[in-house]
Amino acid sequence: MTATAPTYPYTAPAGPPALLLDSITKTYRSKAGAVDALRGVTYHFARGSFTAVMGPSGSGKSTLLQCAAGLDHPTTGTVVLNGVTLLGLNEVELTKLRRAEMGFVFQAYNLLPSLTVYDNVALPLRLTGRRPARNDVQRVLEQVGLEGKAKRRPAELSGGQQQRVAIARALITRPSVFFADEPTGALDSGTSRQILGLLREATDRVGQTVVMVTHDPVAAAYAERVLFLSDGLLAGHLDRATPAQIAAAMSDLER
Amino acid sequence: MFFLSRQTVGRHRSLYAGSFVALAVGVFLLGLAATATAATIAYHGPASASISVTTLGGDGTAPQNVKVPLSDADVSGLQTVLSMVGTISGFITVFVIASTFAFAVASRRREYGLLRLIGATPRQIRRMVLGEAVAVALAASLTGAIAAQLATPLLLRKASYTELAPVKLEPASPWVPLAIAVGAGLLVAMLGARSAARRAGRVGPIDALREASLEPPRIGPVRVVFGLLFLAGAITMLTLIRPSSGEGAVPLAMFTPMVMVIALTLLAPLVVPLVGRVWAVPLVAWTQVSGRLARSNVLAAPRRSASLAAPILAISAIAGSMVLSLSFAADSAAATIRDAVRAPIVVTGAAPVDRAGVKAVDAGVPLQVVRVAADYAELEDAEGIDPVIASQTRDLTVRSGDLGELTGNTVAVSKEMAGFEGYRVGAEVPVVFPDRKPVKLRVVAIVKDAFGVNPSFLIPLELAREHAPQARTERSFVLPADGVAPADLVQRIPGAQLATDWEADQAEGLRKGNRLGLVMLLGPAALYSAIAIANTLLMGSLQRRHEFVTSRLLGATPAQLRRMVLWESSLVGAVALSLGAAITITVGVLVRHSMTSGVADVPITVPWGILLGIGGLCLTLAVGSALAPTAYLLRVVAGQNAIQQGQ
Repeated sequence: MTATAPTYPYTAPAGPPALLLDSITKTYRSKAGAVDALRGVTYHFARGSFTAVMGPSGSGKSTLLQCAAGLDHPTTGTVVLNGVTLLGLNEVELTKLRRAEMGFVFQAYNLLPSLTVYDNVALPLRLTGRRPARNDVQRVLEQVGLEGKAKRRPAELSGGQQQRVAIARALITRPSVFFADEPTGALDSGTSRQILGLLREATDRVGQTVVMVTHDPVAAAYAERVLFLSDGLLAGHLDRATPAQIAAAMSDLER
Repeated sequence: MFFLSRQTVGRHRSLYAGSFVALAVGVFLLGLAATATAATIAYHGPASASISVTTLGGDGTAPQNVKVPLSDADVSGLQTVLSMVGTISGFITVFVIASTFAFAVASRRREYGLLRLIGATPRQIRRMVLGEAVAVALAASLTGAIAAQLATPLLLRKASYTELAPVKLEPASPWVPLAIAVGAGLLVAMLGARSAARRAGRVGPIDALREASLEPPRIGPVRVVFGLLFLAGAITMLTLIRPSSGEGAVPLAMFTPMVMVIALTLLAPLVVPLVGRVWAVPLVAWTQVSGRLARSNVLAAPRRSASLAAPILAISAIAGSMVLSLSFAADSAAATIRDAVRAPIVVTGAAPVDRAGVKAVDAGVPLQVVRVAADYAELEDAEGIDPVIASQTRDLTVRSGDLGELTGNTVAVSKEMAGFEGYRVGAEVPVVFPDRKPVKLRVVAIVKDAFGVNPSFLIPLELAREHAPQARTERSFVLPADGVAPADLVQRIPGAQLATDWEADQAEGLRKGNRLGLVMLLGPAALYSAIAIANTLLMGSLQRRHEFVTSRLLGATPAQLRRMVLWESSLVGAVALSLGAAITITVGVLVRHSMTSGVADVPITVPWGILLGIGGLCLTLAVGSALAPTAYLLRVVAGQNAIQQGQ
């Protein structure tokens, strides 16, 4: 942690917060006993920021992402997305918020194998009951470099292409926050660069907020800020760091 | 969401092929039963073949004219069988559809999670699953209905001029019956898919992120409550199978297993692992790793195991109980006939003319009368007898009244009929004779039941001759003169048999009739269950590609995986069959007890061949339809590995 000696809770950088985590804890109970995955995390994700969350295995980074996206309920603490408190929303309200404001990209591309690329990308719009405009879908496909592949099915595409479909699908609803969990985990380095470039572009050009969980220092280096998580607590951050700096910080944490 | 339903059905063809076939066969059977019933309703025999009577009325019902068809134009036997075929097919259809849909949902948790993640509400997911059910059901129902329409003439040709329908039946207008069958198919699919849809709606978006699509092992409290309710219902029905329920025991023996099957299926996620643990003990002891793996797979996914076990349980319990109950019923009927005949010789056909060496001939005249009640009129078998001779040749033990008074407009009624209708000595039974003359018969005696020997109504011989001049003796009981050996006398009288031989023939005739009924009732259901068993197992195995790939990578040989699948399907089959056997034995024991009380020395005929055949067939199907896709998958996996190594 050479770059910073921060005190948390961390004060937000400039700009209004898109996503606000306030003293989030998460405890999993099982027969084997209780496990504290998160032990009080407070952080403001500024609008238009690209933040990577890193940490050793079991540090709680995936849990953090799931709580932030309302996929899982924190044991205590609140999550506020664009001024809306997730706590207290029912399943349907949460779903509506999710489809209006959030986009998801995961390591497993999570496409529907039965649908064409076009239909996969248009699906979130159909789910809201809107008829997707052909131009919108085509434009998003062009944005991710998949023009001409609209009629293919996921199985006919490479891993990188499938991930780009997933990004197109997340872009189509113009969400304010992008959640990405190891988006390049299954891709080679060249393809990874393209995918990360797309995420970068989303923040730079459209002002979308990206929260990305990763264990890859190269991927994390695309973010403006890298948050380090250890044992369910924020352990530090690096701004505009190189992969080497990030890797050094990670090996510090794992020691 | 219908847009999505259509697409996903196309994709998950292997998951829905089973539901499609199951439903199409179900609608085909229902449609066939419906069109054939329509043909029997549309059948109007010649006027001479029925008797018009006016019911008595009273008790708030007005007297009305009804036409009662005589036995040579009576199609009600076929109608009864058809309605039973319809009931069984309907039951098994709901059952199979519910289990195939439950299975489809369980194996697609991740997909639903993904849809939830990108913004589908639980309601949309439910509608999507129901939409898929509609898409499959519509196609399947129409296919089944068309097939039924094509097969109807064939069935009617086969059914015409049989005991069940002694007339020529012509196809009636198919629109109404087929609409009913298609409607029933859609309804059944909706019912079957509903709980599956609800479960799909509960899948959370986070399920998309979990690698393992293992379902939660808990079962809902609602399901447990319903399971216990059905179990209580089945137990109540079991207690009703007792001596006092008489002929009602057989229908009870048919329906109780169905209720029991529903109960056990609802509770299956609890019951199957429990019984599975027991069966797994020898398996784990005798095999190496494959048996252990099979045990874990069966126990770790109780829902999956439960839906694999369900169709095997259903058919083995229902078919087993029916086969055993009917066999025991035939046993008790045979004993009843044996006890009811006292004469040593029985003559089939016309009564013997040559009276040499004969002490007495009990040549009763069989006829049919229309019994008129307050709001219905029914055709009843009756016999004109000479009470003095008949009480020597057969068991006519009088429960109350006096057989000696059986002269003029009088009748002796069997105890069971008297019990059903509340007849007492001195009561009047209004009847219409085949010559269309209405007569009020006074009950002079209530006699012991003797099914197969005495009909429910016995009237004086002269009365029978007077009102049914065409009626002829069809079988008579002969008492040899003193000192004449029955064995010698039999040689001299045409059509004569020793009573013991005749009794054996009657019993054989009963069993033959039962077999025909079983084939008609269980044939379609068995075919259907076979499809269902194969279907769930095929689906189950084809979904396991990923698991097989992983296991192969871990170093499991194809032979080990095949053995694992073999043991797994055998274990599920054994669990289902042992539950089915428990139901069969319980029902069989109770039916036997209820039918043999009051009759001594009833033979026991357990149709081992058929029962073991049912079990063996279920097991073979289960194992075969699990192994076939496994072998296929292993080949595919091996091929892929070769390609990857080549690159």
